[in-house]
Amino acid sequence: MTQRHWEDVTEGEALAPLRFPLTVYRLVMAAGANRDFNAIHHNSEHAKRSGASEMYANTLFLQGMWERTVREYIGLAGTIRHIHGFRMGSFNTVGDTVVVQGSVTRKFIEGGFGLVDLKLWSENRHGISVGPGSVLVTLPRHDPSASPKVFIGEPHELERD
Amino acid sequence: MQDDWQEAWGPVMRAVGTVGSDLGARAVAGIDRIEPGTLRRYLEPLEFDCALHHDEQVAKAHGHGGVTAPYTAALSFAMPAMWQPGDATLFPEDSRDAQPARSAVKPVYPDYFPSFSGYFATDIDIDFVRPALVGDRLTRRGARLVSCEPKETRIGRGAFIKIESEVVTETGEVITRMRTGMYLYQSHQEQPA
Repeated sequence: MTQRHWEDVTEGEALAPLRFPLTVYRLVMAAGANRDFNAIHHNSEHAKRSGASEMYANTLFLQGMWERTVREYIGLAGTIRHIHGFRMGSFNTVGDTVVVQGSVTRKFIEGGFGLVDLKLWSENRHGISVGPGSVLVTLPRHDPSASPKVFIGEPHELERD
Repeated sequence: MQDDWQEAWGPVMRAVGTVGSDLGARAVAGIDRIEPGTLRRYLEPLEFDCALHHDEQVAKAHGHGGVTAPYTAALSFAMPAMWQPGDATLFPEDSRDAQPARSAVKPVYPDYFPSFSGYFATDIDIDFVRPALVGDRLTRRGARLVSCEPKETRIGRGAFIKIESEVVTETGEVITRMRTGMYLYQSHQEQPA
């Protein structure tokens, strides 16, 4: 995993999109892995009775897709401060492919930390299905004395000094 | 009456923002500490290849206390067991689509909530203090009702609600704060007769 630094980031640049084909097999694995066994996520008949057109990916799985996409951008030394506006616009149903995309909205320094605000969204064959939302991340700076390796703490603590 | 279903949500709307409107009288503790195996299985369907989640040396070299779980995995590791020794059976019926007697994810709300046949998350805001670590035992705490808006959609009649909660460790350290929107609804196909 390549380590990106805050100075390397350009506002407006795109994150590498990631594709997540949704098969029954994968949705069953996801339910078992993240413990959301709501049958709308692995049982077509049940999902249809609930008003959906098919079984669909659960929220935790969709969040994980965003996190993986962000992690591949921020590298091991980056941290995620928040995900806001993770809004479900339409169901991501089996047989479709979720493509997570993103771009850099803003980069700034706060409390000595290099911060980057990302816009993320998920698309399926019907268009945007999740988001767009905001993901705030920290990235290391080229000068290691400029910020510690990793920020751990309350989001408001970024505003110190 | 056409508006009966909306009136049924009145008590919930009146509870919004009132003192004591925390809907989660009990905190929900994850059944296990986070283990490397469950973390590995969490990553599989995501094909999430990140050394922070499996290599302790790498994680510590990057300032963490140990192997980290993905930030967004905290809620999964704060879920209770579906069944434990001594519990009644989860599966009393053998029809193909019978649902278990209990669910770890179905929201449990006070009696003044109308009944609903379906639910799903609609929008989520999450603030992360730190990622959970292998060895942490997590608890989901709090369910403060902050909004309720009855609405009929193409899939049913119900209400959009928002709940605030947090995930804490055994020592009470808050690691994640969430504001979760849910749509609770009676599906058009399952309206009471």
